[in-house]
Amino acid sequence: MKAVIMPGFSELIIVVNPTGEVTREGMLSIVMPWLYAPWPGTQERGIIEMTVPGDTLRALLVELSERYRQANVDFELINPRTNDLDFDYDVLVDGKNYVALAGGLDAKLKANDTVKVKVLWRWDG
Amino acid sequence: MLDQSELLRYNRQLIIPDFGEEGQGKLKDSHAVIVGVGGLGCASATYLAAAGVGHITIVDFDTVELTDLNRQILYGEEDIGKKKVIVAKRKLSRLNSKVEITPVLAKITEENALSLIDGAQVVIDGLDNSVTRLVVNSACVKQKIAYIYGGVSRLRGMVTTIIPGQTPCLACLRPEGAGGLGVLGVTPAIIASLQALEAIKLLIGRSPALAGKLLLFNGDDMKFQLLEIRRNESCPVCSPTLPR
Repeated sequence: MKAVIMPGFSELIIVVNPTGEVTREGMLSIVMPWLYAPWPGTQERGIIEMTVPGDTLRALLVELSERYRQANVDFELINPRTNDLDFDYDVLVDGKNYVALAGGLDAKLKANDTVKVKVLWRWDG
Repeated sequence: MLDQSELLRYNRQLIIPDFGEEGQGKLKDSHAVIVGVGGLGCASATYLAAAGVGHITIVDFDTVELTDLNRQILYGEEDIGKKKVIVAKRKLSRLNSKVEITPVLAKITEENALSLIDGAQVVIDGLDNSVTRLVVNSACVKQKIAYIYGGVSRLRGMVTTIIPGQTPCLACLRPEGAGGLGVLGVTPAIIASLQALEAIKLLIGRSPALAGKLLLFNGDDMKFQLLEIRRNESCPVCSPTLPR
């Protein structure tokens, strides 16, 4: 699948197999420049394009983690211990939490699905 | 000026290059406010008092409960039902009687936040929710006081040092995530120790290493990660270009 990625504040917004042009229109400035680490040349345009082997949400997250790993950024979205989403992140598909999808992380993504990967902050003390 | 007992007491840190008597003197003349004396605040208050920060204000409205004792190391079973700030003051004064401890029994709100942090050189986060943290963040930006955010859940934690006008503030980053997820006691101790270290460096005039950086701690896999963060030009709290 083709994934078009727009880094935001502390999240990645990803459009899967878009049928139209994807732009950053309406999005504000970026405050987490490390989200561009695997694709430094794309920072000015603000949009990253990536090809993913497979068509599931898990395949997308695994490929993303691999790209970041190659850039020496720890963005391990799937926890190898639990084989589920790591506790540092949340993932929404078209606004719906991945746990609510039939198939969960193994749900197949379709054209124009919008996946949001959020870095979770810590609020307990 | 340090007296003989202080020279002896702080000997192990006085011999650190770039710290010395001058650094100790600066700590002695400093005022730090710790907002919340729970898991994070108990640990940061302990280390700041031990290090000789001259004046520490501790703010909390809560009483000690049995469920606090896995992580809130200033309290014991005999303190259950007592006001945290009162017990914490007694314990911290026992640790270092030369430090002035001001206990403030109050819930932090938009109305009182500015006055609670007034006169401090640094505010250290010991809170347990996002709403109050954003209130404190906003007050620190207004008063131009450094704010050291720390947060934990389970075996994970985060720290960043916010220098108003220089680094992103907490609101810049539009932070998301839920609270009440559980905490293993050592996690706030680790994060609070890093907060205390940042505070001490800041108070003695050294650059805090976590200004403009977000440190992520993952105790499950024992990983630390340091990420660059930038100011949000449209931040409703700290953007110089937006009316407030």
